[in-house]
Amino acid sequence: MLSWSGTEQGLEVNLENVQNTTGGVDVSFARELVDFATAATEFDLVALTKARNNLINVAGLAVAIDASAVIANFEMMTRLADSTGARMQTEVVQDRLAVATAMGVDKVISRR
Amino acid sequence: MRVSISDVRADLIFAHEQAWSALSQPGTWWSGAQKRELAQTALLAVSESEPSPPWVAVSTVADKNLKIHFASSAAHDAVYRIARHAATLTSDWYQRTTQEIEPLAFIELCGIVCTVATISAFRRALDLGLPELAPATLGEPSRIKPANVVDATLNWVPVIAPADENAAVVQAFTAVPETNRVIWAMADAQYIPDKEMVDPHWTRGTLSRVQMELVATRVSQQRECFY
Repeated sequence: MLSWSGTEQGLEVNLENVQNTTGGVDVSFARELVDFATAATEFDLVALTKARNNLINVAGLAVAIDASAVIANFEMMTRLADSTGARMQTEVVQDRLAVATAMGVDKVISRR
Repeated sequence: MRVSISDVRADLIFAHEQAWSALSQPGTWWSGAQKRELAQTALLAVSESEPSPPWVAVSTVADKNLKIHFASSAAHDAVYRIARHAATLTSDWYQRTTQEIEPLAFIELCGIVCTVATISAFRRALDLGLPELAPATLGEPSRIKPANVVDATLNWVPVIAPADENAAVVQAFTAVPETNRVIWAMADAQYIPDKEMVDPHWTRGTLSRVQMELVATRVSQQRECFY
């Protein structure tokens, strides 16, 4: 979805960089968004406060709130997918393997 | 900078309030007391800095002080595992778990975990305190099973027929319609309304679609979700 939405908007998306928290996307506030999403999924409250304040400072409160909503949504969807054994059709997995490999998700433990 | 709940969009507050209050109300397969108790275990799982490892049944860990009065130990163990170690779940685990928890009740249980995980994540990200769970509402679960529940290829869990015509995540909860409704009402408010999913330019005026997908991708990576 990230690759697709970027392409549709004429943006270069470096998927390898997403996992390095450097953003990897030539869009506004990419670094701050990735840092916020990372901190929100970990247990360092100091880092989370810093990342939230950085995002609010550069992008505004409404963006931080909507970013929090997207984070929350994928805390939900990842559990929905993993607990119900959700899988993609084989041909879809094959089509997307290059993307998955670039992002390192071909090695995650939930691959099935 | 302090964030206030009054800064949050009304549609998002409404979706969360509806889902949060449902955690204490009789559902399709679980009573209000059972749901509330399982939600408390899910809250523990997502908030512990030193969780039990995935191979340990949390109900056997004395110092967790779980409240196990209404739902079975197996249900609490499943809730904890899904809430904290979802990426470690396997088909064998699902098969063992659904020998003790009926598959449709398992789906509703997953919905309880999803509700707790998403609302607690939102509140934590913005340093907003979590509301208390409401006292359990008395009453029996409806136990209404849709007529057209079938096995799926793209999920472990059964779904409403026809199976596998929609994405696995979309069909996953369909066999428990109320759980499905609550979860997707939150998804509409948190992420993208269903009818807008195909539009790469859709935005609420804050995050662009590619910014949303960047955040979504990072969270999915952090949770090691292959899907």
